Amino acid sequence: MTWSRRRSQAGLVVFSSARSSLWLGKDHLLGIDTTGYTETYKRFYFRDIQAITIRRTNRRRNWSLGLGVPAGLFALFAAVASREVVVASILGTVAGLFLLAALLNVAAGPTCVCHLRTAVQTEELPSLNRLRRTRKVLNRLRPFIVEAQGQLAPEDIPIRMHELKSATANSGDQPAVAPRYVVDDPNLPPRIVP
Amino acid sequence: MNRAELTPCPSCGSPLQVEIFPAFFKRIAPGRQGESLMVEGESSCFYHPQKKAVVPCQACGRFLCALCDCELHGRHFCPACLEVGKQKGKISSLENKRTLYDGIALSLAIVPMLIFYFTIITAPMALYLAIRYWNAPRSIVHRTKIRYIFAIILASLQIIGWAIGIYFLVTNLNPHG
Repeated sequence: MTWSRRRSQAGLVVFSSARSSLWLGKDHLLGIDTTGYTETYKRFYFRDIQAITIRRTNRRRNWSLGLGVPAGLFALFAAVASREVVVASILGTVAGLFLLAALLNVAAGPTCVCHLRTAVQTEELPSLNRLRRTRKVLNRLRPFIVEAQGQLAPEDIPIRMHELKSATANSGDQPAVAPRYVVDDPNLPPRIVP
Repeated sequence: MNRAELTPCPSCGSPLQVEIFPAFFKRIAPGRQGESLMVEGESSCFYHPQKKAVVPCQACGRFLCALCDCELHGRHFCPACLEVGKQKGKISSLENKRTLYDGIALSLAIVPMLIFYFTIITAPMALYLAIRYWNAPRSIVHRTKIRYIFAIILASLQIIGWAIGIYFLVTNLNPHG
């Protein structure tokens, strides 16, 4: 399946940050990591997505401090050097830039880390780093995943968890079955062990 | 779990929101093993002659046993064709990397302008890349050829600039000119 012009014109929303972006496909979510010269793709098919976790982080607070403290210091220096108009205006401008960045950081909302889990991997989605945007994306994704997998009622989860736990415990009692084939080279077909 | 708000993690206390989907509870089906041949003359797997063929590879036509059958979006491939398809980009859903030649060409046309002398080398390189890879696949998502166009224009202007500069240099240095 190709990401065609038709698809991107179909009004599918792009959620992007500086280096990573997420694209919504017909049956999968496409994660693109770009360096500017190369692009790396990761496809997460809706039928395979097991869980999405969002964890709130302190990055917004840290950035606000990191930007707010220099803003305050430069403003202080500007106030001290108020007799030198040129110096004061330069320092004031720098303070204003720091303050603007801090305000933008605060306005963007709380930060978070989002992970997507499938049966074989747990991937961080770097483009989903703000809680508000992540929830928006999750709300947009949910219908696609439900369509592919069906609905899971919240009250069913503890029962299913319990079943899964007991099934795992039971299978743990049985001796492990040795694989009947060996993969010597990933580029060659597997070799069957007699 | 599956709540709309953040709840503290029972282990570390971090505010957490977890959305679980039915695939979480789905057990992974065990891998299929090739079925041994019971009747002589029955079609066998190309890679494992002692195993019964169940499907032909849709790329090369070789017979495959259940172990060698790699199903991808309803199509059946042998491991070798799957690998070749991935490497050559013939199976788009397996493609996981692309080089953005348009971005490289544009960078080669713009960045060296900071130290202008480099453009005598980089401008022809940018022009070559833009022309050579004009029809090469760009980003997997829609991206126009505007970077190539800008790269060609900028690189051409730089080359013209150098040509004019060299011409004037040569004519001014020539005492008979």
